[in-house]
This record gives sequence, structure tokens and C-alpha cells, in this order.
Amino acid sequence: MTSLLLDIVTTAGILFAVSVGLLIVFGVQKIINFAHGAFLTIGGYTSLVVTHFHLDPWLAEPLALISGAVFGAAVERIIVRPLYRRPLDAILATWGLAIVVVQLITIGFGRGVQFVQSPVAGATRVLGTDYSLYRLIFLAIAIAIGIAIAAALQGTRLGLVARAVIMNEDLARGLGINSDLVRFATFSVGAGLASLAGALLTPLLSVDPIMGVPWLLNAFMLVMVSGTSLVSLALACLVLGGAQVVVSSYGSPVLGGLTIVVLAAIVLRVRPAGFARA
Amino acid sequence: MPQMPRREIRAAEEFRGASRLPSEEFRREIGRVGMLAVAALVLIGIGPWALGQYSVDILIRSFLYGAIAVTLDILWGYTGILSFGQSAFFVIGAYACGLTFVHIGLTPFTALGALVGGVAVAALVGALVGWLAFGYGVPALYISIATLVLCVVMVQVLYSGGVYTGSSSGLSGFDTFDVSMAGWFWIAGAALVLVVALGWILVRSDAGRLLVSIRENEQRCKYFGLATGRIKMQLLAGSAIVAALAGYAYAGYTDVVAPDLGGFQFGTELVIWVALGGRGTLLGPACAAVLIDFVSAYLSGSLPFVWQLIVGVVFIAVIVVMPRGLGPALASPVRRAWRRKAPARPVTARLRPAEERNAAAEPAFGGGPTAIEITHLSRRYGSLHVLEDISFSARGGELVSLVGPNGAGKTTLIRCISDGRERTSGRVAIEGHGIGRSAPEYCARLGLGRKFQTPNVFEALTVAESLRIARARIERPSFWRCDDAIRLPEAAMQVVRTTGLAEQLATRVRHLSHGGKQALELAMVLATEPRVLLLDEPTAGLTKPERTVIGKVLVDLVQRHGLCVLLVEHDLEFVREISSRIIVLHQGRIVLDGNVEDVVSSELVRTIYVGEPQAIGEEAG
Amino acid sequence: MSGAALEVEGLTSGYGEAMVLRDVSFSLPAGQVLAILGKNGMGKSTLLKTVMGFLPAAKGRIRIAGEETTGLPPHRMTRRKVAYSPQEQAIFQDLTVDENLRLGLASDRFYERERARVAAFFPFLATRRRQRAGTLSGGEQKMLLVARALLFRPRLMLVDEITEGLQPSITRRVAEVLREELVALGLAILLIEQNVSFALSLADRYAVLARGEIVASGKVGEPGAEAAIHEHLAV
Repeated sequence: MTSLLLDIVTTAGILFAVSVGLLIVFGVQKIINFAHGAFLTIGGYTSLVVTHFHLDPWLAEPLALISGAVFGAAVERIIVRPLYRRPLDAILATWGLAIVVVQLITIGFGRGVQFVQSPVAGATRVLGTDYSLYRLIFLAIAIAIGIAIAAALQGTRLGLVARAVIMNEDLARGLGINSDLVRFATFSVGAGLASLAGALLTPLLSVDPIMGVPWLLNAFMLVMVSGTSLVSLALACLVLGGAQVVVSSYGSPVLGGLTIVVLAAIVLRVRPAGFARA
Repeated sequence: MPQMPRREIRAAEEFRGASRLPSEEFRREIGRVGMLAVAALVLIGIGPWALGQYSVDILIRSFLYGAIAVTLDILWGYTGILSFGQSAFFVIGAYACGLTFVHIGLTPFTALGALVGGVAVAALVGALVGWLAFGYGVPALYISIATLVLCVVMVQVLYSGGVYTGSSSGLSGFDTFDVSMAGWFWIAGAALVLVVALGWILVRSDAGRLLVSIRENEQRCKYFGLATGRIKMQLLAGSAIVAALAGYAYAGYTDVVAPDLGGFQFGTELVIWVALGGRGTLLGPACAAVLIDFVSAYLSGSLPFVWQLIVGVVFIAVIVVMPRGLGPALASPVRRAWRRKAPARPVTARLRPAEERNAAAEPAFGGGPTAIEITHLSRRYGSLHVLEDISFSARGGELVSLVGPNGAGKTTLIRCISDGRERTSGRVAIEGHGIGRSAPEYCARLGLGRKFQTPNVFEALTVAESLRIARARIERPSFWRCDDAIRLPEAAMQVVRTTGLAEQLATRVRHLSHGGKQALELAMVLATEPRVLLLDEPTAGLTKPERTVIGKVLVDLVQRHGLCVLLVEHDLEFVREISSRIIVLHQGRIVLDGNVEDVVSSELVRTIYVGEPQAIGEEAG
Repeated sequence: MSGAALEVEGLTSGYGEAMVLRDVSFSLPAGQVLAILGKNGMGKSTLLKTVMGFLPAAKGRIRIAGEETTGLPPHRMTRRKVAYSPQEQAIFQDLTVDENLRLGLASDRFYERERARVAAFFPFLATRRRQRAGTLSGGEQKMLLVARALLFRPRLMLVDEITEGLQPSITRRVAEVLREELVALGLAILLIEQNVSFALSLADRYAVLARGEIVASGKVGEPGAEAAIHEHLAV
């Protein structure tokens, strides 16, 4: 029972870390970045490179964050900005980008499944059971990411400006805020966070060129039910991620894999605002 | 008011020398498409001899994919439904074939049964997804989400089927039809030509214009009483049938079915083909699907990943730089050269009087039956009371103006009358029928017409097409023809004629003036033969002569046609000229309800309407 | 450099192909108030949006303090000391009073000083800093809007229908504050109003817009001005 609860909270943490980048991009840009999975994959392969060169495994995370952010910055300039007033086309173009990234990675690293060295191994004793230490560290990092973003949004001038753009872009522009710059920065940060999540995932999962696709779908659905609120996203991750763990444990893993997308689709149909305050 | 001497006018004759009627244009296009189709069929006929075996093998599959791309184009390019899930319908057809032949065996009876069964399941799933996605208040993006989820679910279901579905490796090596490769080539090729031709007829027919109008402005369609949700659901189910048929043929030919055929990767690949070929062109997506799939198969041996990379890069470039797709971008220079020889002629229509269904109502000023009755209506947003305890009724032959300062709740009241889900409590009845919690399209069917504040029109259609869309609920548009006549009730006809729209039937709506658009929307609403007309500032942004015309038309509607008109207006003098009664709203309540002189001369109105007593002098003269 | 805070020359603008504003020219000297009068839908808000850079000018030129600004995006306007107070959705409902005000300055450096300055005009700004702006009354929201616009000491203020829905006492207070700041900051105001008495109480000059064109203009208080305004505004 304890381990089930730990599974639920750590799964929620993983989902939160994976989705949060997509959420902030959606909040500011009002577009859905279907290349989110590709950025995640880039993070995974950054980890792989770190393993390959026998560097400290903990280096993978900052490197992934940086490479994702840099790549995201370029993508925003070249692909996303011209599509700002065509949100559906932006979905398609970013999906095209995802295809390109998958092919580039395949050409560079091969199609095969590869493994990454884990920075920590083994289990630790929590609440009377042995539990994977890495998953607990992951959860801690996810919480830290959430707190850091919330603090940045609530406590800094940049966060205030970003919130202003999220709430009413035209009004913000009239007050002297360069919203193009805010969009550029948030897309870059969102891509960096996706990449970071990809690197964090690698000790738990193998790396392959299409590793981002299932995560993209889950993250997309979680963001759809969360609107633009971090709290709603955390709640959605806990509820839907929890359902996934329960279904996987007591039903079948196949059904578990479907739980998030199916439940999210139902939630959205019944209540278009999802977990956000209507 | 100029009375037209003829019962019908062919308006564009006055407008430009050489215009065409829709049926002529339609026949010309059908002729051209027919010729193209015959040419394509000839090519397909000689294909098996002219091409190598490998090419023939690949093209059979490409043709089937092309057919699905065409249906996706009708969904997305014409109607605006972005579906990532056509692959799921494809895989249903494919597994209907595979499962039946593996587990039951191949007999003519099972083959037919599998076909019917597969198509039926696909149509049902399509209808179910459509029902979920096109319901009241469901966001437009939901269909994309739902179809994405459908793919994921479909693949997982097939994976988890174990031995029965062959899990991840799928089913293969089953007994299948004894048809030669050339035979399959002809079947698939002919099917593609048929789908393109039928699709062409559909999108060029009157019903096809309806699809475009849904894409352009679904809200306006709904307020005309058109059940757009149901139309979209049927369209999705129809496209599912074509995809399932293609899937069935695919399985029958290749002898292999695998779960990945239903995945969203394939679903998005279809979307990419349509976007590359050109949304809303039918031929573009068909060609793009066939070409890209064919070349992919050829290059997958030599340049497997590079080819995909190239497709991805081109796709991004096309989306960013050429949103209309490669097809139109390549075709437009050719077309321009062609046009120089024979300039495009506008397509117009004939106006004819409609047989009015509601002519029974006696035109008696203020003496008609109760047309609208509102009792104890209120609307709250959280703790904010926008409307409180609104009760009034109005009869046919009454022109009731709703006035009050900004934020008094006038537009909210109009919304509560025309959409059953808007009000918090209270009752609204149109001609004695309560609207309940009905969606706008069903409120409209009770005899309600609503004209929005800013012109709410179909920018991409012509005036004639717009009027036909407005009539679509009363006269079901044909799927395979274009009607030359637009039958309008007298009131709509009067607006069309007095505002000069009759001379602009072939004009694209986006080229009309602001006043022209306002008049067109009014004419469209009147074409639906409403008994109660809701008008939200119909004269905003109009010139004085235009305003006078609209005013005369409104008075006429009320006096001669016995309509009940509810008018929201800022312009007090206009209100005074044409109203039979004025209701004053202030802070969500009715503060006055009486005849024109009483209300206009009331000190209370002066105070609340302008805020400061002395300002009324400037405002109301 | 000319002495005009704002010069508009032959300005034509609108939405898509529909030109709402046609060939509008005027000049607003520093320290003065120009009231643009006219009925709904006559292009008044379009004028402000075009000056502010939200809408592209199809034709014509805009100069602010002698420098051409035609075609510049809105966020470049605050650097030229232009404040914009829109008619609708003018404050961030979900932000606090304080956060709304902070967004009126480009950095937080002088925030406390400037906040204290504008809070002197509207005391509730000092006492209810943490209140969510959406829960303020309509009048308080308008005062917050004026305060935010004045915060960075603008040289030109574009004000769209500030008195709409305001009770007379608040309208008077807003007029007093603007009058003080006109002197204190050397501010010029382009005022769009339906409330003619408020507009004329503040303005040095007026212009009447009808169907996108200036049909009358002149000095407030000169003989015949009131009559001209009434003629064009009367229905």
C-alpha cells in the first residue's frame, strides 16, 4: 500500500516535470508545442552523450536544460513566431519539427534502444518500505521545479510581466512590454524544461528516437485539462497519474498506458475548463 | 422604394456583362473533372503494363492512401475539422478483413460480412467521436484531441488482443481474394478517381457551400437554425466509411494488417499530405498522398531517414511560408496564364420569391399573438448579477427597443433569449414554446432570428451563396447540384433590393462595405423566416442614408409582415422614430417599459442613460 | 523639434479592408488637451489604437514630440513617454492593485516613490494594495487605470472613454487629477469622450469625428464652438 502511494506521488512528479514546459508555452503563446516530445528526446540523448563520454551523470540535467533552451530559442525564431496568429498551423509545424528531430537523431545515433548510466542506484527505506531512490530524487526535483517556476512567476518582475502577457497580451503591450521577447523567452524555457525532463527520465527508461511521443500525448492531455495554472497541472498529474498507477497495478499495464489520455478526454468533454477554475 | 417589375432578376447582368449561373458553372466544372477522370482512368488502365511490378505494388497502397487524404481534405480543408484519427478508421476496415479471414475463413459471404461489418463499426465509431466532439459548448480543438486519443486507444486495443489480433506483429498470411496485382491496381486506382470525383461534386454542390460556411462561421450557421454539430458528425462518419473501405482493400491486397496502421503517426502523416498538397483543393491532397507515399517507398531503401527528414523540412517550410500548400502555389501561375485568355466570370443567381410558410400571421400593428414572453429571467456570473428578474412580453407587430447605458445587460438579454443555456433562471418562450435549455440552433427553429452587433457574415462566400446558406434549413441543399434560384421571403427580398445587394449577388462578402455586410446579415436572418427578430445595434457604423433604409425596412417588417422585433440601440432618435415601445434597462433591471413619448420624455431615462442630467442635451438633442 | 506632443497627418486606418478612419490630421501641442468627440462607431478608438501602434496606418504619418512613430509597435511607445488608457479590459483583473501599478513602470527601481505620488491622488491605492483588481468597483478600477497611466510621468496620454459608467463624483475627481498633472508634468492629453461636458471641462481644443473624418474642430470656449459640437452630435 505504501509503495502504491509512493508510486502515485512519484508518477505525478514525473508527469509534472514532463508537462510543465508545455504548460508555460501554452500559457504565454496560446499554441501547443507538438515538438515538446522532441525536446524531451533531445534531453534523453544529452544524457546518453554524457554517459558515452563517462562524465558525471549529474551533468546530464544542466546540459539538457541548456541544449533544449538553445534549440528552443532557435525554433521560436524560425518556426513558431510566424505562426503566432495561426495556432492550428503551429501544432502542425511543431509536429513537423518533431519528425525532423526524430530523423536527425536516428541518423546520428541509430534507431536502436540505448541505456544511460544512472547517477544513483538502489533503494532506500521510506515509510517502512524499500523504494527506488532515484524516483524519490526525481519527485524532489519535480517539486523544486514547480516551486522555482511559481516563485519566478509570483516573485520576480519577469514573472509579473509573463503573467501580464498570459492574461492580456494587448494590454501588456500597451504598457511597454515587448511581448515578442516574453514569448521568445518562455518558449526557450519551456523547451529547456522538456529537455531537462527527458534527461531526468533516462535512468528510468531506455533511450530511443521516438521516446518522446507517448510523453507528448500525456503532457498534451494534462495541459489541456489544466488550462494555464500550475496548481491545476499538479492536481491533474496527481489525479490522472494516480489513476494510471492504480489501473496499471490492478488492471493491465496496457490499460494503464491509456488511462491519462482517456480520462483527460472524458474530463474535457464533461467540463471544458478541466481542473482549472472555470 | 423601387418595385421590381419582373418577378425574377438576373442581377449580375446589370452588374457585369458576362456572368454565369451556378448550374452552368457546375456543369462546366463537371465536364472538366469528367475529362480529367477519364484521362486518369486511361492511365490507370495501362499502368500495370507500363510500370514495373514494384511500382504497381506500391501504387496500389498509395491510391488507397490518396482516397483517405481526399476525405480528410473534405473534413479539414473544407469544413475545418482537423482529424488526426483517419488512420483509426482505416485500421478498423483492415482488421475487419484480417480478423474475419484468419478466424472464420474466406467465403463470398464472410468477405461481404467483413466489409459491411468493418464499415458499420467505423461509421459508428466516427459518429460516436463526432457526438462527443461536436456537442454544445465543446471547444473546437476537441475533435483533434478526441481523434488523437482514438488512435492511441485503437492501437492499444489491437496490441492487447493477444493471439486473436496478433498483438504487435498483427495478422498476416491469411487466405485472401484471388485477384491479380493488375486487378488490385485497377480497383484501387478507380476507387481513388471515384472518391475524387464524388468529393468534387459534393464540395461544388450547394451542400458543399454549406460545409465552407461551417468552417467560416459556425456560430452564424447555428443561429440560422442549422444543426452544424449533426452535419459534422455525419461527415466524420462518412469519411470513416471511406477510410474503412480503403483499409479493407489494403488488408485484402497486402495480406498483412498491423496495429501501427491505426496509430496517430499515420494519422498525422495523412494530415501532412493534405497540408502539403493544399487544403481545400481535393486534387492536391490526392496527388500529394500518392506521390509522397510512392517516392517514400522507393527511397526508403536507399535514403531511409534522409527522405523522411526532407519531407519533414518541406512540411515545416510549406506550413510557415505557403499556408495554402504546394498544390495551389504551383498551380496558380498556370491558372493565371489560363485566366489571361479567358477571364473568370462571376457566378450569380436568380432571385425568386419564396412560398412563405408563416404567411398566416395577420399583420396588425401591435395586435398580433404573443410572439415572445420572458418571465423572471436572471443571469448571474458568480456573484455578479447581470440581469435580475426581467419579465416582459411582446406581440407580433410590435417593435420593442431595448435601451440603456453600456453594461446595462442589453446584449446579455439578447443572448439569454437566443441560447437556452445562457440564463441562470426564468423562462423564455417563443410563440408559446419555451426554449428550455436548447442550443441556439434549436432556439432558432422556434422562429427566432438574431442579428449580431458587428456584422456576422461569411467573408469567403459570395452574397448569393450566403443567402442560400441562410435558406439551407428550409430548403435542403442538394449534394450533387447547384440551384440557380434563391427563393427569398418578401421581407428578405425587400432588404436585398433596397440596399443594392441584388446587384452584388456575385460579389464576395469580404469586398462589401460595412453597411453592405450589415444589410446582408439582416437579409440572411430574414431569409430564415423568423417570427421574432433580435437586432443588436443594426445601424452601428452605418451612414445616415443606410440607417434610414434599415429603419424603413424594420417598420415595414413589423407593420406589413407582423414580425415582432426586439431592437438594442444606442441612437435614441432612431429608436424614437421607429419603435412602438421602449424598454429601459439599467444595471440589469427593467426600470421603464412604455410607449415612446413617455419613455423619451422621462427624466429618469435622461439621468441614467447619459449619467449626468445636463449631458442629455447634447446626446439626444 | 516642433512644440507638438502629437502630430497626425493624413491618417487612414482600419481593420482589414474596412477603413474606419479617413485622412485625419491634427496637432496637439504639449501641455494641452484635445478632446475627440463623436458617437459610437465613428472611429475614435481606432484613432487611439493606430497612434499607439496596435493598428497599422494604411496612409499618413504620426509624429510624437517631433519624431516619426508610424509603424512602431505599441511597446516602443512607453519609451517615448506615451501612456495609453484603453476603454475595455484596461486592467489585469487577476492581478493585485500593486501588481497592476508595477506594470505601469518599466522597472521596479522608482516604484515606491511613484506609487506614493499617484496614491496621493487616490488614497485607496495606498490602503488596498493587495486587493485583486477585479474585485474593485467599476469606479475604483478606472481610478487605478488613471493612476497606472500617470505613474511613469508620461508626456502624452491617450485616454479612451475614461468616464464611461462613472458616477459624477469620481468623474470630477479624475478631471481634477488630470488637470493637476497637466501642469505638473507638462502633459498633453488626447481625450476620447462621449461625456461632452466632462470633455469640454478639460479640453483646450476639440475635434468631432463622424464616419472616420474630422467634421468640426476648434478651440473650446470660442464663439460658436458649442453650437458646432451640438450640431454634429445632435441626433
